[in-house]
Amino acid sequence: MKDLLTVEHVSKRYANHTALDDVSLSIPEGSVYGLLGPNGAGKTTLIRIINRITAPDSGRILFDGHDLAPEDICRIGYLPEERGLYKKMKVGEQALFFARLKGLSRRDATARLKQWFEKFGIQGWWDKRVEELSKGMAQKVQFIVTVLHEPRLLIFDEPFSGFDPINANLLKEEILSLREQGATVIFSTHNMSSVEEICDHITLINRSKNILSGQVDDIRHRHGSNLFEVAYRGDEHSLRQAIAASCEILEGAAEESVYKTIRIHVRRDDEVRAVIAAVNEAVDLRSFREIIPSMNDIFIRAVNGSL
Amino acid sequence: MQTSNIKLIIQREFNERVRKKSFFLSTLITPLMMVALMAAPALIMKYSRGEQKRIAVIDDSGLVAPRLENNEEILFETTDLAPDQARKRLTDLFGILCIGGDILENPANVRLYANASPSLSLESQITAQIEKILETEKLKAYNIEELDRILAEVKTTVTLQTFRNDKSPEGDSQAQSSAAATATGYVLGFILYMFLMIYGSMVMQSVIEEKNSRVLEVMVSSVRPFDLMMGKILGVAAVAVVQILIWGVLVLAVGGLVIPRLIPAEAMAGIQAMQQGIPDAASMNGLDPEMLQTMAVMTDSGYLLKLFGCLLLFVFGGYLLYSAMFAAVGSAVDNIQDASQLQLPITLPIVLALLMMLAVIEDPNSQLAFWFSIIPFTSPVVMMARIPYGIPLWEILLSLALLYASFVGMVWLAAKIYRVGIFMYGKKPTLKELLKWMRYKY
Repeated sequence: MKDLLTVEHVSKRYANHTALDDVSLSIPEGSVYGLLGPNGAGKTTLIRIINRITAPDSGRILFDGHDLAPEDICRIGYLPEERGLYKKMKVGEQALFFARLKGLSRRDATARLKQWFEKFGIQGWWDKRVEELSKGMAQKVQFIVTVLHEPRLLIFDEPFSGFDPINANLLKEEILSLREQGATVIFSTHNMSSVEEICDHITLINRSKNILSGQVDDIRHRHGSNLFEVAYRGDEHSLRQAIAASCEILEGAAEESVYKTIRIHVRRDDEVRAVIAAVNEAVDLRSFREIIPSMNDIFIRAVNGSL
Repeated sequence: MQTSNIKLIIQREFNERVRKKSFFLSTLITPLMMVALMAAPALIMKYSRGEQKRIAVIDDSGLVAPRLENNEEILFETTDLAPDQARKRLTDLFGILCIGGDILENPANVRLYANASPSLSLESQITAQIEKILETEKLKAYNIEELDRILAEVKTTVTLQTFRNDKSPEGDSQAQSSAAATATGYVLGFILYMFLMIYGSMVMQSVIEEKNSRVLEVMVSSVRPFDLMMGKILGVAAVAVVQILIWGVLVLAVGGLVIPRLIPAEAMAGIQAMQQGIPDAASMNGLDPEMLQTMAVMTDSGYLLKLFGCLLLFVFGGYLLYSAMFAAVGSAVDNIQDASQLQLPITLPIVLALLMMLAVIEDPNSQLAFWFSIIPFTSPVVMMARIPYGIPLWEILLSLALLYASFVGMVWLAAKIYRVGIFMYGKKPTLKELLKWMRYKY
């Protein structure tokens, strides 16, 4: 698949800290790309560079094969984490204003806005002032403003914060349907469950460096090696003794109605068979199952440097 | 694309303000306030006089008392009581004036026993009246025939009419009224001061509001911070210009159409004579020339147009210069309270300009006046106050050129602070930090 956006060796330094240090990544067209990282890692700086709000000190950004140019801003829709609207302005007028800033004509913008307002069932809001809306309502308007000009690249920074579960779900479906229509989505968050649900690719940024990049499934399998859950009947102590040499026991046995379970990490790949044999010797083995780690686990391990 | 974005932002800023009721109200009320403000001192003087003061007079000489004249302030009443008795009994009067019998030879023999502390003006009125009476009395001693007629004839009041030789090409010197120029200068200088302060801080507030409501984050993904700042500055400027134009039309309408209809025909002839620089005809009408000159200025549409042209140019330039600074300060803080300290370097020169204006109006051609009306930070206010006196064109042009040049420089610096400031939340920056931001590269 072609890459819509490529970030090549981008660095950005501020007076007393480095926000981005030689970050490279490529975002395939039509993907939902998760940009992950703890607070202050440099995500927002990278997004601002992609939006041409700030310029990188070195490195370059390619958009659809060419150097990112001022006109490309019209092909990007950005929903910042800290969002806001002009409080005193009317909803419809304001949406029109933002749409026209993105290069839409007044007529096009009006027609498209009517459609979106209908879709969200908010036609009655057109003449309301933004200050009369609840936070959730304003978020919907903000979302419409972000996607109205049908950008090829959408950037959502923590899009679900401030939404109730029902509206968050609505939003998720809209994002996925935008991808169906061909948009590429960059999705910056630290909510890992949503990453597993909707992202195809991710990049993990920590301390201004790209420390992990790739397809979500790939990464999970790659980092899931040698983590197992064992279900058995028998004496926990003898099991521990049997595998102590080649395994690290992550969690003690949990008493269950039928079987006890234990989580183990086998130190070396080629020892898995031996461990299974050892377990089989020691206790009555009922299941031996590999655990694919959640993105959350990977995130925490990667950030702590234990990956 | 970017120019059209600036246009959109200007439009938004303009519409948002002009559609407000408060714009309409302030446009109408401000001129009324100005008139009230100018009329206030006169009104206060008029009504602060208080009631008539009754003063009992004991005149041993018999010369003074019959000729004392009552006026709005003082009512003289002759009494036969002895001074000591009068002082005890007549406590409900303001005071007792005792005039000695030897008053002609010994003018110091006058005493006022007051029951309350007398004002300076009251004392001087009494002495002036007595002096006059004594002078007349002494003149009489020379036995001059027809003294009263002679005195009436020699009495003269001088009214000075001033004309500028250097103002007119054909040698007919145009009438110039210092009184009118001073008043106009005050008004214009004050208007400038108000516009710089009000519209400048309007820009600042609006930037802070955008930052607070986080619209800025959304805006900067569509427009460059510089465009955003300039759009706002120009949008608010458009509001200011519209307001001045409305006032201009009002003043021209009142001066050009309403006043001439209210004034009697012969007075109008005098005013026109004044405008054409033929003062003899004017003075022959027996009207007060000072008044005529003022009216001539007020109804001279060409002169008014010139003033408004200058006003527009200086308001625009001065506003641009100051609003750029206001925008920079607004971008650096999170709320109005934090802004007050950073605002000081901006408001200080404006207030200085206002103080300078008061000094300059006394002597519009001094070195001080010249320099403060050339230096950009004070020039809009000070120059505007000088213009009604008729100053050389090159001074106005030089002042304007410097003003607009310094605006360009200031915008360049302010934009550097602005684009750093709008992303800074939390800590209140110091002035030093602001200066440091100018060196950040983006």
